[in-house]
This record gives sequence, structure tokens and C-alpha cells, in this order.
Amino acid sequence: MRVNIAGLKMKNPVMTASGTFGYGEEYADYVDLNWLGGLVVKGLSLKPRLGNPPPRIMETSSGMLNAVGLQNIGVDAFIKEKLPFLSQYHVAVIANIYGESYSEYAQVARKLSRAQGVHALEVNISCPNVKKGGLSFGSDPKAAAEVTRRVKAETNLPVIVKLTPNVTDIAAIAQAVEEAGADAVSLINTLTGMSIDLKTGTPHLKNITGGLSGPAIKPVALRMVWQVAQKVTIPIIGIGGIMTAEDALEFMVAGAGAVQIGTANFINPCATIEIIDGIWHYLHDHKIKSIKDIVGTLRT
Amino acid sequence: MAKDIYIGEVSANEEIQIDCFLMKVKLPGNFAEPLPGQFAMIRIAGLHDPFLSRPISIYSFSRSKSHCTLGLLYRVVGKGTQILAGLIKGSQVEISGPLGGSYAIDENKKNMVLIAGGIGVAPLSLLAQYLCQTVCHDAESMTFYLGAQTADAVVGLDHLRQYCYKIIICTDDGTLGEKSLVTAAFQKDIKKYKPAETAIYACGPKPMIRSLSTILDGKYFCQVSLEERMACGVGACVGCAVAVKDEQGRKAYKRVCADGPVFDLQKVIWE
Repeated sequence: MRVNIAGLKMKNPVMTASGTFGYGEEYADYVDLNWLGGLVVKGLSLKPRLGNPPPRIMETSSGMLNAVGLQNIGVDAFIKEKLPFLSQYHVAVIANIYGESYSEYAQVARKLSRAQGVHALEVNISCPNVKKGGLSFGSDPKAAAEVTRRVKAETNLPVIVKLTPNVTDIAAIAQAVEEAGADAVSLINTLTGMSIDLKTGTPHLKNITGGLSGPAIKPVALRMVWQVAQKVTIPIIGIGGIMTAEDALEFMVAGAGAVQIGTANFINPCATIEIIDGIWHYLHDHKIKSIKDIVGTLRT
Repeated sequence: MAKDIYIGEVSANEEIQIDCFLMKVKLPGNFAEPLPGQFAMIRIAGLHDPFLSRPISIYSFSRSKSHCTLGLLYRVVGKGTQILAGLIKGSQVEISGPLGGSYAIDENKKNMVLIAGGIGVAPLSLLAQYLCQTVCHDAESMTFYLGAQTADAVVGLDHLRQYCYKIIICTDDGTLGEKSLVTAAFQKDIKKYKPAETAIYACGPKPMIRSLSTILDGKYFCQVSLEERMACGVGACVGCAVAVKDEQGRKAYKRVCADGPVFDLQKVIWE
């Protein structure tokens, strides 16, 4: 079950997706964090962020929209207050980072690289719910590459760049960040969407639009992982609507070396553990020795 | 690891008023004792539309030798509650809880005033039960103001009468009790309650809570149960945000599920 994603060693390929597992402690009563391959924490910015006004979420068919707006305690408070808790566990801790400028990305990366207990950085260039930064870096190959270079210059940790699906050609962005030195890519972040309350004629979300996640987006995510896998040689972490071990395995067949579980945690706090268990059984039943033996094995 | 998802069996699911249901769920004996103000997340296993679990206040709770029974009082407001309303005896549901914090109880307060609007009676009924059984040894010390739009929307009155002696009922149209808003009925009596001797607990629609905030003007200890759309119920998704003043008096978004659902009324910011 062990995997090595560009130097990030994990005991299995199942990670939690940023923004869906808090800072780990929220789910520690439900899940033994030691069992997880990796734990990606809620996106961190240089300064604490208030987030967007409510309502922030709305349910959809087989999914949900969110416009949380990267509410977080800031990188310094994370290092001081949250990291010591996570360091008690034998789990790869991946810090998801966000900035409103190249310089902010670089500063957050620098602070986390000096802290003990962070095993990799995931660079969020794909949040659809913030006015500055986020998506604007993720939808332009040049800006995406520049963010990657600036973060790489600050750290020796593996750098994973998290990509947005809200672009015409996600593979072009993936190639750009690969050339800029990204060690891996993770995809997809949420798809921009909206929902309207017919009774009032107003949007359900105060932010008007939000990011769609959950099983509704799985086919789109799978397609994008497969497309990116054709174009890059760095490892891919598959994200998007994974609810079961079968879903996770589909992503691996499409080319993902590891997966992240997001919205599934909300409706089943034990989803990650069930998925790890299911993958183990699949490998065992099919006499597959290593995860590597199924990654990118799609037959067309 | 202390918490789990429990498989519960619906032992009753009755429409006790128009569009208002009382579901009883039989749960394993290791389900933790809920405190008044806490809630549970309920979902039907495997269902993806509606996708999210529903947060529902805990209305009643009892424990026998072998199992527990959780009472959930809910109004049908959308697709999720519509499906819950259709569950028959013997149906299985997934329950997580008890979640969130509870009302802070100061046993030294002489007057306990509970103010409920509509389905807001649910968490306050559990509080009334708790106060009756553990705190208010004098029947006069607890007063319950129960408001609804109309007589058909007054729920849980018989249940409440077991625990509370003084219940003041108000309806918007006067079909039951006083023809008054529940907050106005309380305001009429406010001189009976000295701020230093009174604890107020409220749950109901936002306009009611807001109006109460104006009436109390920060002079009373008052806690309110708030509601927001929720995804995870444990504080991870930060979806159920509500604006409150933090320790330094600055605006912060707190999570109804994990930081609440009970908040000090004085700290709530009305946006």
C-alpha cells in the first residue's frame, strides 16, 4: 500500500482533501489519524482570513456548493496551535497554502518549511471563492508557473500544485507547473457553480457562486486526471467526488498515484478508513503487489 | 477515538402537527447522553440526493438497559425533511451525535426564562426537562414563552407540561393563547425578571432572536440556539458560519456546529 509521491512517503495512497478535514483534530474522534496516508490541512494564508459571509453552502444533487472563502487562522497560528497536535501522529502532513500575491505564497512557504512536522506543501492556485489570488493564478499557465517557481525557491519540501478544473485546458496548466519545477500535481479543485432560490429570486449562496464538489463531479475529475496523465511525467494526486474504494481505484487506473478524499468526509467521517480498507482488499483479491502496478493502466 | 456513526432504527415517526413530525430513533446503549442544546446529524445510508446529513436538535432522550431512544422534532421544510417524514417504523437511519455545545446553566439564577418560536421549542424542551429534573426545584422559577404563527403550529405542548408549570402561549393570529408575538409577551413581563437573577434561553426564527436582542439590550444573560445550513457537523467544513464578536470584540465567523449551536446573544452580530 505504500506510495512515494515525489519524495512524499505515505503508508497508503489515501489523503484527506484540503478544507474538508479541518486541521485534523475535528475528525480525530472518528478516525485514527495514524491510518491515513496523508492529511492535507485547510488552506493557510499569511494572515488570518475572515472568510465569506453566510450562507456559505448549498446542497445539490449528489454534491454541494461551498463559498467559504478560505477562512483560516493564518500560517503562524497554524504552526503554533495546530501543528503540535498533528505531529503526535504518524501521518504525512501536507500544508495547503494560499496567497494573494507571489510574495505571499513565497512567505507562507518559507514559514512552513522552517516548521517541524510539515512533510509537503500543496499550492492552492485554484480556489474559486476568493476575489484576489486563487483561481486567477491557476487559470493562466504563466502565473501558475511563476507561483510554482517562487514556492520552490523557498522550500526543500515536495511541492504539489493543486489545479482548477475551471479552465479550457487543464493539461496546459499542468505542463506549465511541471516545467516550473512542481514535484506533483493534485486535481481537481471544485467546479464553479451556483444555485437559485426560486421563492426569493436570490442566489442560495451569499457569494452568488461557489465551488461544486461531491460525487456529482467525479466523471469530470476522472477525465481531467486522465488528460493530465497523458501530458506530464510528475505524479498526479486524483481528487473529485471519491466516495468509495472503487472510485479511488478508477482514479489510479486513470493515472493518479494517490487520491484525496474530500466531501465524502462530511457525510461519512470514516470514509477515508473505509476506502483504505477497500483498496487493500482489492489489491489482495486481485493479487496486485503494489499500488504502482495499477496506476495509469487504463486500456483504451 | 470516542465517536462513531450509529445505525439507528426508527421506532416511531408521527405527524404531531401539520408538517411537524416527532421521530423516535432506537440507538445502541453506548450513545452518549446529550446535553440540552446539542444536536444530531441524521441521514439515510447510501442516499446521494439529498446528499448531506440533516442537523436536528435533540428534543428528548431516554435510556433503558439495552438501548437509548433519541427524540427528534422537526418541521418539513424541504427535500431532506420530506424524505425523513416518509420513514416508517423499522427504517434504518445513520446518526452521529450528540454534537455541538450545550446551554450554560447558572444554578444561582432565580428565574429561568425560556423563549421558543415555532420549531425552536425542540432544544428548549430538553432544557426544560433538564432544568426541571436537576435545577429548578421551585415550580415558579421556570417560565416558558411558547410562540407560533397559529394554533396548528404550536408543537410539543403536552410534552412540555410535564416539566414546566408556567407556559405562556402566544400565536400571531390569536387562535391559541395570547394574540401576540412571543417576544412582545415576554417584554410585557420583563419587569418581573431582574437582570442579575435571570437567565434567558431562546430558540426560534432569526427575526425573533433579533427582536429579543433589541428588547434585552445587553442587560441580561441570554443564550440562543442558532441555525445555519451545515455539511459536516463537526467543524471541518466551516460552512455553517455565523458572525459573532470574538474575545477582542472583533467580528469573526464562528461555526454553528462546533462553536455553537448555542451562543451568547450579546455576541451575535446581525448582518
